[in-house]
Amino acid sequence: MKKSSPALLVIYPLLVFFSILTLVPFVWMICAAFKSNADFFDSLFLPQGNGFLGIAWDRLTLANFSKLFGELGMLRATMNSVFLASTTALLGTIGGAMGGYALAKFEFRGRKWMTRLILTAMIIPGPLLMAPGYQLMFNLGLLDTYAGMLLPTIAPAFGVFLFRQSILNSVPMDLIEAARIDGAGEIRIFATMVLPIVRPMIGAFLMITFLGTWNNFIGPQIMFQSPEKFPLSVAINSLKGVYGQDYGMLMAGTLVSIAPILVLFLMLQKEFIAGLTAGSVKG
Amino acid sequence: MLRDKPILNLPFMLNWLRNFSLGVWAIFGLALVSSVYLMTRPSASSGDHAFWLFARLHLQAYEPLIGEWNEKNPEMRIEPLLISLPAMERRLFSGFMSGTPMADLFEITQNVTARLTSGPVEDIGLRDLTDLLKAGGLSDAINPPSFSPWTVRGRIYGLPHDVHPVLLAYRSDLVEAAGIDVNEIETWEDFVRVMWPLQRTGGAGGEDRYLLNMWQTNAELLSVLMLQAGGGFFDANLRPVLDSEVNALVMATIATWCTGPKRISIDAPEFSASGNALKMRGQVVAAIMPDWLAGVWKTDLPGLGGKLKLMPLPAWTKGGRRTSVMGGTMLGFNKNAPEEVFKKQWDFAQFLYRSPELAAEMFRRSTIIPPDRNLWSLPVFDEPDPYFSGQPAGRLFIDQAPDVPLRVSSPFFNGANEQSGQALLRLVEYANANGVHTVEGLLPKSRELLAVAQAQLKRQMERNVFMRADQ
Amino acid sequence: MSKSRTPSITPWLFLSPFLVTFAVFTIYPLSQSFVLSFQQTFGPQSTVNVGFENFRYLLTDPLFWTALKNTVIFTLGSLCVQLPLSLGLALLLNRPELKGRSLFRLIFFAPSLVGLVFVGIIFSLIFEKRTGLLNVALHAVIPQFPLEFPWLQNYVMPALIIAALWLYVGFNMIYFLAALQNVPGELMEAAGIDGAGPWDRFVHVTLPHIMPVAGFVVLLSILGSFQLFELPFVLLGGAGPENRGLTLVMYLYTTGFVTGDLGYASAIGWVLALILASVTILQRTISRKGEE
Repeated sequence: MKKSSPALLVIYPLLVFFSILTLVPFVWMICAAFKSNADFFDSLFLPQGNGFLGIAWDRLTLANFSKLFGELGMLRATMNSVFLASTTALLGTIGGAMGGYALAKFEFRGRKWMTRLILTAMIIPGPLLMAPGYQLMFNLGLLDTYAGMLLPTIAPAFGVFLFRQSILNSVPMDLIEAARIDGAGEIRIFATMVLPIVRPMIGAFLMITFLGTWNNFIGPQIMFQSPEKFPLSVAINSLKGVYGQDYGMLMAGTLVSIAPILVLFLMLQKEFIAGLTAGSVKG
Repeated sequence: MLRDKPILNLPFMLNWLRNFSLGVWAIFGLALVSSVYLMTRPSASSGDHAFWLFARLHLQAYEPLIGEWNEKNPEMRIEPLLISLPAMERRLFSGFMSGTPMADLFEITQNVTARLTSGPVEDIGLRDLTDLLKAGGLSDAINPPSFSPWTVRGRIYGLPHDVHPVLLAYRSDLVEAAGIDVNEIETWEDFVRVMWPLQRTGGAGGEDRYLLNMWQTNAELLSVLMLQAGGGFFDANLRPVLDSEVNALVMATIATWCTGPKRISIDAPEFSASGNALKMRGQVVAAIMPDWLAGVWKTDLPGLGGKLKLMPLPAWTKGGRRTSVMGGTMLGFNKNAPEEVFKKQWDFAQFLYRSPELAAEMFRRSTIIPPDRNLWSLPVFDEPDPYFSGQPAGRLFIDQAPDVPLRVSSPFFNGANEQSGQALLRLVEYANANGVHTVEGLLPKSRELLAVAQAQLKRQMERNVFMRADQ
Repeated sequence: MSKSRTPSITPWLFLSPFLVTFAVFTIYPLSQSFVLSFQQTFGPQSTVNVGFENFRYLLTDPLFWTALKNTVIFTLGSLCVQLPLSLGLALLLNRPELKGRSLFRLIFFAPSLVGLVFVGIIFSLIFEKRTGLLNVALHAVIPQFPLEFPWLQNYVMPALIIAALWLYVGFNMIYFLAALQNVPGELMEAAGIDGAGPWDRFVHVTLPHIMPVAGFVVLLSILGSFQLFELPFVLLGGAGPENRGLTLVMYLYTTGFVTGDLGYASAIGWVLALILASVTILQRTISRKGEE
């Protein structure tokens, strides 16, 4: 029975409508980033004028960006974000894969408890650890250091969980058994046999962690005090404090903060979504 | 056999590396590049002594003098740094409490000082300047009310930067065109009555006009007006007095300004595009203006130049005080800085704050008058100010300076501010919900809401174990 | 099948990064949090034991109850608005003959890539009175709509729900889409042949099959909404007028890191954890009952 095409006549416009609603803030932000403050309130999106399509293309400006990167040191903040996000992603992935492998392909006493521990660890709410975590960092002398930000991320429970699922489901036990019988070392098995098979999950988890760290605000806000260590999330927020009415610059800064993520996402789309849903559909 | 295959075989490794997708390599590459970048950055120079400022106007005014000082004192170079006030508050707090890096010298406002002094006395990171001020004769030279916000538990923790007397700025072009004589205005009642012809409510966006820039969530202006009337938050013994009769009266009156048939106020916030638009279009007739705000308007609203004039605030009662105080900055010193460093920085502070050139420069840039009474006779304050239609703005502010009310400072200042702000908002909402729009009608509710605010504040104060010893 | 002997220490070695990190950065602070909740502090150095005082104060602390009320209202409101919308979008996209599904999916998902901070900054400008995008657009379409509509002063909760909606609808939609694509096509066909209309098919075939995922999405949304902090913090620059934007985690943050009382902040943290634990247990019980 052929599905009715008239339904599509309703669906397409609906989808387009919602897409427009979704995209409008993005478009508005991009336009604002390229407008000078004088033009900001005269036109909603692009300045009216005599150019192509009735838009004054010549009034668009890069001044906001040059101010951000020149005077205000946004390059440093960008690098901080890149550094923290990529390093955290790598550390978390390696640690998570290791832990997941142990839980998936080894039989040992305490395995069941460890698995339960992982599940419990995943639901501990972050805010509960905010206050004592700060005190701990103070006692360890790690406040306002990159190390303090990175060390807690080495093997997140969520990572261990995802990799355990993934390895359990895609790596055949026989393969591992055979390799062990052959006398291959565990590290070799892990690196040359397991990792290549779970490569989608690696991509997914890297992306998930990168995204999470890039957008993380509370953590760096609490941990860092020296402005040269601020990542973009904290830097843009403090920009709002000083330059609150410089809307153009604020939007330019936001654009700079969002663009890298969108680009990275385009590269790792499929894996990302697959990784996200891996934990849910299996229940 | 796997056992025999060496893992370090190059083609084997290359093949292995091909396992990872482009995205993975991207992340790896980013990590590498960013690490290298960060490692090659020079770390923040600790040679110079940082001086944290939040007000750009101050920074601009200080720069020439700082340059002069740095030339004469190369071993004690002062490096000014502009930070937003909330960020500075965070960093100071973290620096004092958790030992993270911080400056030895900084300019802060009353709410920050309150936060920094709300723990045990030993933990107050600000240097106690009381004795030094007496010894240097500054306690006499400086306008006494200027010390009040920085005096906590009997000790003075900051060098006052300003006086910040408050006047009323009004659109002389609109007022005089309507034939209104501002000399008839002595009290706030007079103000509402005399200016009423200019009030235009309910026009379709752009045609309405309001007499005063005020709104019900503006807790700061509320406290300014309470102080003017003789009210305020704390008494001389630091006990909360939110629920005084004076406060209740002021709050009830303001509520009638914000809502109801006699509404005269509109929210046109400073530092906001929408607020500035309202002012430029002539939809706000008068604004409560401390000296620093005059400087801000000159920068943000140059188009109003020549259309404004200043007059003393309308009093709350006939013969009552015609000014108030709003805002304030102090220079604070880190208690933990070494003695020799502090001595030099104290000299720098004197150099900066008592210099006639700086006072004149500061005034020209920001219309802010200095707290040092010896400087008030400088001719710069009598110069006609074109922004205010040729009036000698400096002299007008200085005339009110001795009358500026005292601000009793308590570590619970922020809590008091919050509570009173909430009370005003609730009063306005009560007025709307019950159609009560007279001062007498609102007075009972006003008293009630302030009593609630007082009780809340008291609970917060009692909770603080570090302060209990003092009470 | 012979069990190959692996040295029993190897799994523990592989787990060691997790174990060490977990012990130092989760278990230890967790225990400290317990201790802290019975103390009052001024910064991490000055601590004074106050016994149950924190919890006693919490019971009558108007700020805490405001924060709790706001958080609950936000959670429920968000849930009611987001779920139907994300499910609806997923249904729209689920048509096999639909072209451009990936593009639509990308568009709807894009907002969730934007960090909460940045969403807050963008929307703080969008919600501005008189000059913000939303008021200007609504006023253009509905001339009676006041340009002065005070989103960020009086309508904080709706504003937050709208911003959260923009942010998360696509995210939840992805889960629903994945679940919908797992609904066996033959069952739908069979129901259709039996004469069931689209609504009946939806209720009796589709819904039961996506229940587990729906439960998961609901749980995730509730847990996430309860921990709302960055969005109102950036949108309002704090708690907003009359603390209308104060949420539990924001109150925790200001208590611990602005006032300096890490002890009271920990107490709040424990109450939050208790609430979240109860919600999780409740959801699990309900979903387990549903499966029977």
